[in-house]
Amino acid sequence: MPSKPAKVIWLQGITCNGNTHSFLNDPSLGALLESIEFIHHPILPCKKTLKELVKKLPKSDILIFEGAYRADFERAGVKMETLLVTLASKTKHIIALGSCASFGGIFKEASPEHISGILFDKESESGPLQTLRKKVITLSGCPIHPKWLSFVLDMIVQGKKITLDEYRRPKELYGYLVHNGCLRNEYFEWKVDSDHFGTKEGCLYYAQGCQGPFTHGSCNKILWNEVSSKTRAGTPCVGCTEPSYPRTELFSTKTYMSIPAEMPLGIPKRSYLALAGAAKSFHIKRLEGKLIDDNA
Amino acid sequence: MITHELIERIEGEAVLDFRTDKSGTVQEADIRFVHFRGMEAILEGRNALDALVIAPRVCGICGHSHLIAAVRMIENVYIDAGFSLSISPKAHAIREITLECELIQNHIKWLYLVMLHESGKLLGEEANVSLKALYVTSQINQLSALFSGQWPHSSYAIPGGVTCDPTHIEVMQALKILSEVEQFVAKEVLGCPLEKFELHLKSDSHRALEGDFSKLLHQFEKLNLLNTGKSHGRFLVLADNGGSLDNGERSVADVALVSEDSSHTFAHGGKTHAKNALYRGAFYEGGPLARALISERQGISSLYQKYGDCAMTRLSARIDEMVTLIVHVRSLLTSLDLSQPSFTPPSSILSISGSGVGIVEAPRGSLIHRAKIEKGKIVEYSIITPTQWNLGNGTASNLGVAQKAMIGAESIAKASLIFRTFDVCSVCTTH
Repeated sequence: MPSKPAKVIWLQGITCNGNTHSFLNDPSLGALLESIEFIHHPILPCKKTLKELVKKLPKSDILIFEGAYRADFERAGVKMETLLVTLASKTKHIIALGSCASFGGIFKEASPEHISGILFDKESESGPLQTLRKKVITLSGCPIHPKWLSFVLDMIVQGKKITLDEYRRPKELYGYLVHNGCLRNEYFEWKVDSDHFGTKEGCLYYAQGCQGPFTHGSCNKILWNEVSSKTRAGTPCVGCTEPSYPRTELFSTKTYMSIPAEMPLGIPKRSYLALAGAAKSFHIKRLEGKLIDDNA
Repeated sequence: MITHELIERIEGEAVLDFRTDKSGTVQEADIRFVHFRGMEAILEGRNALDALVIAPRVCGICGHSHLIAAVRMIENVYIDAGFSLSISPKAHAIREITLECELIQNHIKWLYLVMLHESGKLLGEEANVSLKALYVTSQINQLSALFSGQWPHSSYAIPGGVTCDPTHIEVMQALKILSEVEQFVAKEVLGCPLEKFELHLKSDSHRALEGDFSKLLHQFEKLNLLNTGKSHGRFLVLADNGGSLDNGERSVADVALVSEDSSHTFAHGGKTHAKNALYRGAFYEGGPLARALISERQGISSLYQKYGDCAMTRLSARIDEMVTLIVHVRSLLTSLDLSQPSFTPPSSILSISGSGVGIVEAPRGSLIHRAKIEKGKIVEYSIITPTQWNLGNGTASNLGVAQKAMIGAESIAKASLIFRTFDVCSVCTTH
């Protein structure tokens, strides 16, 4: 462990503060704060207020940027095209925190031609930090899981190499699909759909719009708030870590000839159809009944 | 002299324009919010159920309140369209539990991250990260997540009920967490058992307790602020059998009397994005103090009678609300009947056309979502947030609630601290 704590600046663009509050949920925040120090943070005690920060934009080890980017959006009266770009050029590592900072996210919808992520604009690598791309690590999610950020900060502080995917997301976090670890996997395997919301049984991919089988994220590996996830609470995955977020019609599955229009990631439609046809023909009684039956 | 003061360490940022006299006393205080995201426009044109995902992103600290407001709004559109809707008492209770958890974590964060920090700073104390407060708020959010899947930004409440189907295991876990929260609040926040706190408020002995809340009151006392911050004495609670109170005169609340005024916003040549929310054409205070007085909670009512709507009463109301909510969450958890359905499927949203309003008592006051839906699609969406009530920007003859509370403060630093007693949130205010 390096003796000097890493200097971190947490800057906000167009945001709801969701990533800030999600980060505060990390129960081991205290241990993390021993290896980093915030030059600026929007909520936690830190060395410089925003007003002080913008007066003389300081060097840092890590710049965390939360929220979507718009060139003329201001913090403390300074435009992002100056603030973000200058702070980014004076830091060693940049973290695009949350789906807005990563790809534009929900707030991009208000003005798609002016709002983007800091490196990516949806799928295209055309954001303001293109020339600094090698410094950028993308942590998409709406919001991010606090441990995703803690993990990346730890890796940077310890000088370890982080393997990244095509959107510069750490593979150790986004190599998984939300589907991995979902408690409803057996229903998926045997093509048993959920009749309706509010039950423990059935897979939400077939009718309720669940995007878990094609969304990258370790939501069902590193559980939310240590205990749950959307799919564990019976809510469909809304695909919040992907550049396509937010899609529309989030609570129903688009189908084509009664087959989900979007296949599980990497599965050819023909193979899926063959397998689904076979799986459906079995009628497995255990999976068609209630998981916990009072009268059994 | 005019001073522009940037208010940070809230959700987002605000600008206060102060006019002070030679002694530094605040004569005028204008409140401005310079950021705007256009949430309503983002919602329009989408499937109504998408609001359950988009609406929580109005705010990172009270997104769950926005979820519940959106789901209540959609359910009222079903009713407006002539469809019946059935929501089990269990689903109702689970929604209440998660909503109240959000209020509890909000109030603890406000006390430790904002109030103690800022009042300590005025007294020259060094601020540290309150890890004990952050740990306990992470636990309350965990309690919520046992039902809602995650906090922040869950979408588990849907028209007809909730998506989760909890077992006794989740309820037991929730009760264990709640016990820890109760211990924290009794030992660290109050300095007395939860059930004794109201008696202390009634007998005006709460300042003598030894907890972090009385520490805050002592700091306010040293700053000579306890009895400052008085406003109009008009209060409003729109949700949950609410009411209005105008200097002692009590009426039933009616959402039809709510209006918005945007005449002073950027769109009309002004300097803020925030619209004023008005009731009967006037500024009313919302939030914990309003809720305590409308529901006639004894401790706060007694403080109000003695001291009026000063900073001390307002601070106490938020803490007392936290105590009341913790007790209520316990009673909801222990009386849950898990055999009831979590969800009763309504007709397809695509068959629904009509209008609806959803109202929620959010951490900072009454939150209103209204929409017009045609064949399941949102054609109009309008949100009035709690902070619009308290942080409205009026004129010299018709001052907003927080504006009035700041006038007469001995310095702009003290006025800014009074401003924070209203629990400021910029992201909600302009949305």
